[in-house]
Parts: sequence; C-alpha cells; structure tokens
Amino acid sequence: MPLTGDSTILVPVDVSITEPPDQVILDLLKPVNLVVLGYYPVPKQTAPAHLKEDHEAEAAERLESIVSRFARGDHEVKDVLVFTKDRQDTIDRIAEQHDCDAVFVPGETDTIDRILVPLRGDVNLERIVSLVGELVRASDATVTLFHSVPEGTDPSQGEFILRGAADRLTEGGVDRDRIDWQLSEGGSPKRNIIDLAVDYDFVVLGEAEPSLRDRILGAVLTPILEEIEKPAIIVRDIE
Amino acid sequence: MSKGQLERNIGFLEAMTLGGGTMIGAGIFILPGIAAEGAGPASSVSFFIAGFVALLAALSLSELATGMPIAGGSYHYVNRALGGFFGSIVGWGMWTGLMFASAFYMIGFGQYLVEPIPFLDGRVFVVLLGLIGLSLIVGVNYYGTEESSQLQNVMIGAETVVVLAYVALGLFFIDPNNLEPFAPTGPSGIIATTGVVFVSFLGFEIIATVAGEVKDPSRNIPLTMILSVVLVTILYALVMIVTTGVLPYQAIGDSLVPVSDVAVVFAGAVGVVAIVAAAAIAAISSSNSSVLAAARVNFAMGRDDLMSEWLNVTHDRFGTPHRAIIATGAVTAVLIAAGLQVETIVALLAEVASFSFLVSYSLVHVALVVFRRADPEDYDPSFKIPDVLYPAVPVLGVVLTVVVISQMAPIIILLGLGIVGLGVGWYFVYVRDHAIDRGLIDEAITPTTDAYRVLVPVANPDTQQDLIRLAAATAHAHTDEGTPELVAVNVLQVADPDPQQNVAAERLEHQRDLLDGARDIAAEMDVQLRTVAMTGERVDETILEAIGDEEPDQVLLGWGGTLTRQGHVFGPNLDAVVEDAPCEVTLVTLHDDTIGNPVALAGPGPHSPVAARRAAEFASIDGTVPTLLNVQQPMGDDNTTASERGNGVIDDVAERAGLDPEDYEREVVVDDDIEAAILATADQFDTICVGLSERSAASRVMFGTIAERISQEATSNVGIVRGWNES
Repeated sequence: MPLTGDSTILVPVDVSITEPPDQVILDLLKPVNLVVLGYYPVPKQTAPAHLKEDHEAEAAERLESIVSRFARGDHEVKDVLVFTKDRQDTIDRIAEQHDCDAVFVPGETDTIDRILVPLRGDVNLERIVSLVGELVRASDATVTLFHSVPEGTDPSQGEFILRGAADRLTEGGVDRDRIDWQLSEGGSPKRNIIDLAVDYDFVVLGEAEPSLRDRILGAVLTPILEEIEKPAIIVRDIE
Repeated sequence: MSKGQLERNIGFLEAMTLGGGTMIGAGIFILPGIAAEGAGPASSVSFFIAGFVALLAALSLSELATGMPIAGGSYHYVNRALGGFFGSIVGWGMWTGLMFASAFYMIGFGQYLVEPIPFLDGRVFVVLLGLIGLSLIVGVNYYGTEESSQLQNVMIGAETVVVLAYVALGLFFIDPNNLEPFAPTGPSGIIATTGVVFVSFLGFEIIATVAGEVKDPSRNIPLTMILSVVLVTILYALVMIVTTGVLPYQAIGDSLVPVSDVAVVFAGAVGVVAIVAAAAIAAISSSNSSVLAAARVNFAMGRDDLMSEWLNVTHDRFGTPHRAIIATGAVTAVLIAAGLQVETIVALLAEVASFSFLVSYSLVHVALVVFRRADPEDYDPSFKIPDVLYPAVPVLGVVLTVVVISQMAPIIILLGLGIVGLGVGWYFVYVRDHAIDRGLIDEAITPTTDAYRVLVPVANPDTQQDLIRLAAATAHAHTDEGTPELVAVNVLQVADPDPQQNVAAERLEHQRDLLDGARDIAAEMDVQLRTVAMTGERVDETILEAIGDEEPDQVLLGWGGTLTRQGHVFGPNLDAVVEDAPCEVTLVTLHDDTIGNPVALAGPGPHSPVAARRAAEFASIDGTVPTLLNVQQPMGDDNTTASERGNGVIDDVAERAGLDPEDYEREVVVDDDIEAAILATADQFDTICVGLSERSAASRVMFGTIAERISQEATSNVGIVRGWNES
C-alpha cells in the first residue's frame, strides 16, 4: 500500500545495461510513489528462464542500485524484476498488478521547466490533472494545457475543458501564473502535439483507447512518443 | 535481492501462428508429391490417420503441459516421468527430429525456387539454395531477434490465404476420373504414407516446447494444440483431394513442386508465383520455428543436467543460446548437403523426423500414465483428458504409433533406431554421471513400499547436506527392512500465488539446487533419495501434508536451537510437526561439523530408547560407537548401589532400543547435581541425543528440563528425539 494518498508511477528500466537515471527525472518524480520495473529483454531465440538463470544476480544488482537512487523517506519505492520478450506486455501487466496511475517513458532532457499536457476531452481528465498537480506543486515548472478541436466546430467546448482543468490545477496548489493553455482548431491532434512538443521538456499524456488497427499493429501512443523523443508520463485509463 | 519474474508473452494468436504455422508451413507444399506417389488419392486418408495420431498426442501433451508449463515439451515430461534414460532418448530424438525437419523444409525451399527458373537446374542448386536459406536463418537466430509477432502473423496469414485460395479454386477443377482408383497402393500404402507425412504435425509440439512462455497456459496450451491439429488435418486432407483431383496422381508423384504444378492448371502464372512465394515463406518460417524449438529442448536438457552447460551458454551480447543454434545449424547443413548424394532425400528427411517424433509421442503417452499413477504433489494439470477417454487415449496412441512405425521402410527404421541409440549412448556416457532425476516410474508401479523411509524437510542449502547425511545414517540402519529411502521435501512458501507467473519454473530451479546438494551425500551413504517440491502458505501444514502423503517412519528436521516464548516452543514451523507427526521425529541442532562420538541420555523418559537408537545410527557416520549415559544421585555413602542402579537403567534402555552390549559404551556418573553432571559429561561428546519428555495432558509439546537445558547450553550437536505418537 502506498504510504500517502499520492499517485503511483511505474518507471521501467532496462536492467541488461547500466544506465543511471537522470537527476532531473529523480527530482521530478520525488512527490509520487514509484514502482521501478527492471526488465531484462529476452530475444525470441531464448527461453526467458534461460536468461534468468544466466543473468538474474547481475540484473537484480543493477535494479537495486537504481532503486537506491530513487529511494527517499516519504514515498514508497517498490521494485520488480522481469525477464520478458515484450517490454510493453510487462509494463501493462505490472502497472495493472500494482495499481499504477501512470507509466514513465524516458527521453532526452537536461531540465524540466516547461511541461506540455495535451487533454482529450473528458477521458481520464481527472487523473491527468491531479497527477500533474502532484508533480509540479513543489517545483517551478510551468504547465501548458493543450486541447485540439476539429475545424468548424464550436471552440467554446474546448475552452471549457481547458479552463476547467486550469482551475483544478490552481485548486490543487499550483500558481495560476504557472499555468497557461492553448487551443488549436483543425489539423491532426497527433501532429499538433508533436509540433508543439519541440518547445517543451516533458509531456504528460492520457492513455488512449486503442483502435482495432492499433491493437493489431501496436500501441497508439508509440508514434507520438517516438517522434517527440522527450521524457513523458502516460496516465493510464483505468476505468 | 529481488526475484526475477518470467513474463509470459505468447498469446493465443502467436501460439497458433507458431504451432499451426509450422504445420501448414512447408509440408503442405512439398509433401503432396510424395504422398500422392505413396497412396494416390487416398493420401488424404493418410493425413487423417496422421492427424488422428497427432491429436492423441496433443491430448496427452496438453494435460502434461498444463501440469508443468515450462520449457522443454515432450522431453521434459518424459524425463520427469521415466527418468534420464528415456529423457535422453526423447531429448536427442526431438533435437535430431527438428534438425531433420529443418533440413526437409530447406530442401523444399530450394526445390520451389529452382524449379520455375529454367536455367537453374539440378540438385546442386537445390542444395545450394537450401544451404543459403539455412545460413540466413542461423545467422538471424545467432544475433537474436525481438519478438515481432506482427510480422510473423502477417507472413503466416498470407501463406494461409494462398493455401485456402488454392483449395477453394482447385475444388472446381477436380476431375473425378483422377480420383479413380482411390487407393492404388491399398491399406499398407496408406499407412506407409502416414509415416512420411507425419512430419507435418510436429508444429503443435513446438507449442509445448515454449509452454513456459504461453500466456494463460491452462487455456491457451490445450486450445491451440488441439485446434491447430484439427484445422491442419482438415486443410491437408483438402489439399490432397484437390491436388490428386486436378492432376493424375502419377503426374504429381514425379513432381518436386506438386502444388505449383497443380496451381498452374487453374490459376496460371499468377498462381505459380503466389505458390512459390508462399512456399518460400513457409519453408523459412517453419525452419525458423524448428531452430527455436531445438534451442529450447537443448536448454531444458541442460537445466536437468542432461546436456553440457558449454552448449547451453547464452551469448554475452545477444543473449541467444548461440552454441546450440550453431550446432543445430551445422547438423542441419550436413543433412541438406546429403541431398547431393541421396535421390530421395526429401522423403528420407521427412520420414526420419516423423520416426523421431512418433517415438517421442509414444513415450509421452507412457509418461502421462506414469504421472496419473504416481500423482506427484506438484502435478495438478488444469486440462485433464476426460475420464471416458482415459486410458484409451494413451493406449491407442502407443498402439497407433507402433503400427505407423512398423510400415516404415527398413532404412528409415534403421536410421531412426540409430537416433534412439544416440540417446541411449548419451545416457551411458554423460547423463548417468550428471543427472539425478530417477523419474516417477517406481512410484507409478509400486506407489507405497514397506521400506524404512525418512522425510527430511530442507530449505537451507548450507545445512541440508548435514541433515541429509544424518537422515541417511538413520535410514542406513534399516537396510534389513528393504532398501531405505530418503525423501527430501522442500516447501516453497507462497503468500499469494500469482497464477500468471512461473512458479513452476522457480520451483524447479529450487528443487534442482536441492538435488545437487543431496546427490553426493545420498550416493556416499548408499541410500535412495527422492525429492518432493511443495508449495503452501504455511510451512508446518505443508510438511505435515507431505508426511501424510509419504507415510515416513521418521521425520528429521533442522532446528536453529533457539527456544521461542511467544506461544511457540521450537518455532512456528516446527511445533505442529513435533506435536502431530504420526511418526518418529528428530530435531537436530548442528553446532559442530563432525558427528563423531554420540552420547544418548539413558533415562526414564518414554523416548529415551529411541534417543539411544538414534545415537547408534548417528555413530555409524564416523564409525564410532555411541555411549549411553546415566547420572544418579549418591545413595547414602555407597556409590556402588547408585552406579548399579544407573547400569540397570542403561541395560533397560539398551534392550528396548534393540542395542546389543557390544554396540554401545556405557557411562554412569554419580553426582549430587544431576543436571549439572549430565551437562558437563554430555558436552565432552560431539553429539548428544536426548528424548523428549512425555506429552502433557494439554497435549502441548513438553520439553523436559534436562532436554531443554542441553538444547540451550550444549556446545555439541544436539538431537532431540520423539518416538512414535501412540495417540
């Protein structure tokens, strides 16, 4: 059980290589509980039990040293070690099992000053906003809320969503002047997010319901995340 | 240290493409020619028979695989049930079978590519292309690939569409005259053809081989194995009917690319291109699956100490079992190259692979019967063959296997027996000295024996050797009652079992560590050792459960030696066992490495004869003689009377323990302070055996003051002994 009412974020790390977590990420994730998932990628040719036999001790040691970097007094840090052929499969299962609210996605950044939060209507809104609140309450980072409406529709609906989210963040203890929003009309929301993300250090996204095509050909968020190359958090759609 | 979990990544669709894909794979494009030649239009019947034999095997394998969902497939079940001898035969049989199958696919690959190109001709090119294809597969597998089920799904999907289109279109072009005579070679020809085409049904075995990686194994393993066998049988039968219906079987029999020759009749050049492309994809993917499965079999053999660790090692960077892959590739290459010399290489490879798998499956059926009879603790399959079909399935499975093998050509039987011989030879050269698993067959034949049996719960690798040594010593003293047996029990305590994960694999790993430690000692003491791995939420209850199952004469437990006062005497894991076990109980606390000279307290307590006997048994470890000790208070001034009384007690205890006077030393001490004298004297010995006091009316464990003080103060090894519970 988490020690506080705060959210729990799953942080996947590849324990087949030595890669210490960035200081900025350690700082960012301070206000939440963590589940550090050390995954050891297994090629198709090898039985997972086989690699476990050969590398378990070394992988556990790496995971332990990473977890010790994350460890601090007031929030819980759990660790899980998994030998897997499919990282995504494991992330989904462990996130489910440990009731994680969000999953961290690593990326390149030196600092986290500007956070982009694309919102997609009411889906998952509550969770995304409260998680963003928890993360930035103690920092100086600014938050940009983003929403995209199709061309020709009434933008007031989108404005309503953004305004509501901004109010909730303020209620949650984030200064109003650190929050702004951007409403875009028309164009592909995916494209808009990718273009916008260039100017930001960090992105918080809501998990999308995958379409049938996405289910067959891979998760929907992967293209966005691959293109922006920024660290991100994907807030899970639990209900 | 966090324990690594093993993710199960293979879902229903991936299992179907892996198993079903391998089956419809290459065989469907190559076999129709050989089959038509062997049985004419009736070759569809051959496929039905082969499918039926495969279905029986799939049923037995499903039960075994859901009972033990870990890597290794048939090999693992046979090895566990029947021991290393048959394990070695099946392990090598499967491995070589997969090599033969892989070579068969690659020759087919060569044939389909060479045939449509006029200027490439002859076997040299077929073999060359086969070798190129193989080196491609081996290379890719050496470097390792990520799970890319999408690509595999698309490839198998495309291949299936081509085959379905072939059947659907072809049905309209069947000339009924071609189907007459239906069975030109008669029943024996049909059965003989079954032996050749059986190679197409080894795909479902691949599902069992990767059982440790299948999601929701209790559902997906039986479902995909049985479904793929049924669907593939129907598909093959249809393909045979179309193939022999569109062209006369004599014409097909001569063809190296039968399906393409038939397709050209009704689909023209487009059909040929589609078929050639599908055949090439099929050959590559089937061969690839075989190489994967071969590496798993090799790993499973290494895990059970049936294969050298050297071959099993994973690559530092790629994480692949590269040596096993190279070995598989090298032998396969030799088999492909044999195509230069041997005209009927395709049929030969197919038939030898069939032989190997038929032998494996018949042993799988036997393994199933053994598992059902022996009913080991950790075998709890979620899929069970329905009662009306058991034992019909395994019996019929073995009978049909023998029938099919009996119709094979003598040269195939000879080659097949050669492979069996390889397994046998390997057993005598390597396995016998390395592996310990004796299988369950003894238990299946005689589930209970009257021989003396000692149950040893082991958990700590540091102390288990000593415990087993002591248990072996006590067992050894009972050889006159039949071959004594040690049962090492390990309880894996699970608070909250997660059905998704591989408890089975971890349990096995634990058990193996245990066996490694136990083996040398057991061999040295010349006793039989069997191991039982159990899981339970509470250690004491699980040990009692094991005692109930095994009905031992004695249970020997290690004890840290600290008394706990919070409602327990010896500790939460031990009290219930000491109280309730329906057999003799020995608790040992080891302070010293040598058992050396043991002493037993010969006193009035009900368990002291048992303690004396135990001391004699322990003494046999270092070839010493036990001392029976009695302490008396002086009676007036005459020490003689006191020592006479002491000797009397010792005589009595020795007699009740069944010890002859030359079997023990005696020591009587006369002292005012009995407890102090016992402690001082006993501590001069290496090992002290003491009986528990009688149980109190409240039925709590009564320790007794002397026993308690010894357990707390002695610096020697201490054995606390309780005799049979009369209640």
